[in-house]
Amino acid sequence: MPHLAVNELRARYGALDVLKGVSFSIEKGQVVALVGPSGSGKSTVLRTLVGLTPATGGNVMINDDRIDFASTASLRRARDQIAIVFQQYNLFQNMRIIDNVTVAPTKIKKRPKAEVRADAERLLAMVGLADKLQAFPDQLSGGQQQRVAIARALALHPEILLLDEVTSALDPELVNEVLDSIRQLAEDGMTMVLVSHEMAFVREIADQVVFMDGGVVVEHGPPAQLFDNPKTDRARNFFGKILRH
Amino acid sequence: MNYTFQYGVVWDNFGALMEGAWLTLQLGVFAFGGGLLIGLICASIKTYGPLPLRILVDSYVVFITNTPALIQIYFLYFGLPELGVRWSNEACVLIGLVLNAGAYLTMILRAGFLSVRKNEIEAGLTMGFSVVQQIRYIIVPHIAKSVYPALANFFIVVLVMGTSVGALIGVDELTGQAINLSSINYRWLEYFSVVAVLYVALTFVASIGLALLGRWAFRVKVRIF
Repeated sequence: MPHLAVNELRARYGALDVLKGVSFSIEKGQVVALVGPSGSGKSTVLRTLVGLTPATGGNVMINDDRIDFASTASLRRARDQIAIVFQQYNLFQNMRIIDNVTVAPTKIKKRPKAEVRADAERLLAMVGLADKLQAFPDQLSGGQQQRVAIARALALHPEILLLDEVTSALDPELVNEVLDSIRQLAEDGMTMVLVSHEMAFVREIADQVVFMDGGVVVEHGPPAQLFDNPKTDRARNFFGKILRH
Repeated sequence: MNYTFQYGVVWDNFGALMEGAWLTLQLGVFAFGGGLLIGLICASIKTYGPLPLRILVDSYVVFITNTPALIQIYFLYFGLPELGVRWSNEACVLIGLVLNAGAYLTMILRAGFLSVRKNEIEAGLTMGFSVVQQIRYIIVPHIAKSVYPALANFFIVVLVMGTSVGALIGVDELTGQAINLSSINYRWLEYFSVVAVLYVALTFVASIGLALLGRWAFRVKVRIF
């Protein structure tokens, strides 16, 4: 039984079909990387999984539990199990770092304050920000903010973590500190779906790579196979262009 | 000019002025508080509500902001009794001011709603926030910070200009008391110069109160002046 199965997922922005039937599945503890050119629908897959972009067709199963995106209860169940980290961090600017991490577990999930607080301190220490609890987001660097966003997502105790181009808004020297945090999560066995342009990182961390173009999955497989030996012309073209550098 | 200022007579009646000032502060606080509640609800409706409700809110805002507060309060005080609804003069001023402030605050808060970053809302959504929780934890603190100066200014408008309208229908707030007292002994200059100072003191106290409230409730660091 796959941990997460996406079957023929469809979505559109207005008249534009962005996802034209995307399928892939992921086992517990695996890391799947969605790669492909801009506009291929990678981020839309993640947004659809958390209900930010409505699915217009297909289905998503989490542990064989079918998510009905039209039902609030079902969507809430999905959001209970899936957490997402955004490219632009999306931290709550009016809250201190510690509150950014604890607000949802205490106010939404109603978990005990002391327990959440200890959990948040542990997570922030894990991403190397134990000394920034009382800071506000705009007092941190981009890399630090992104690590807060990761800690905030983990504080929800998700089973599946989605990472949407989490390093592409960062200065090059800050990328590694975020990637280190993600590496740590992969080692800990977190199921992750990530969209990334860091091909070296994808090759190192992903169990499976899904190459998308034009709203469909063109090819998928282990990174070595896709990067070194793509079967389709489109994949060969894409990887040929970006791996040459 | 051979006018002799005689503040002694004002001092003799200072207690009555203070009572008026206290009533002014109460009217201002409750009118602003009630208006804030209406403004928050209406601004939420304008942002999230269905079209018929949005039209209703727009009509309310247009109607109120395009008519003088005095007319609205006269309508409540002199108009409604004709329909069999009779409220005390204090109630008419308070309800009139709440409705009036509500319309202006809808517009101020609406600007705050629009300035909330969409990606914070999205983050909230994916973390399971309901609309009410988003408003409570994300939007209101953001608004408190971004439109705080406009809110504070408007509070002063309600406190100083709004409440003094009450004098015209016999509410003994600060201006009303001053009119009552000075028409007894014609010490208009003395009474109204003291009243002016009292208004400034009131707004000062009110500003400090708002600043402390902002820090306590929303962790907004605000300057008092």
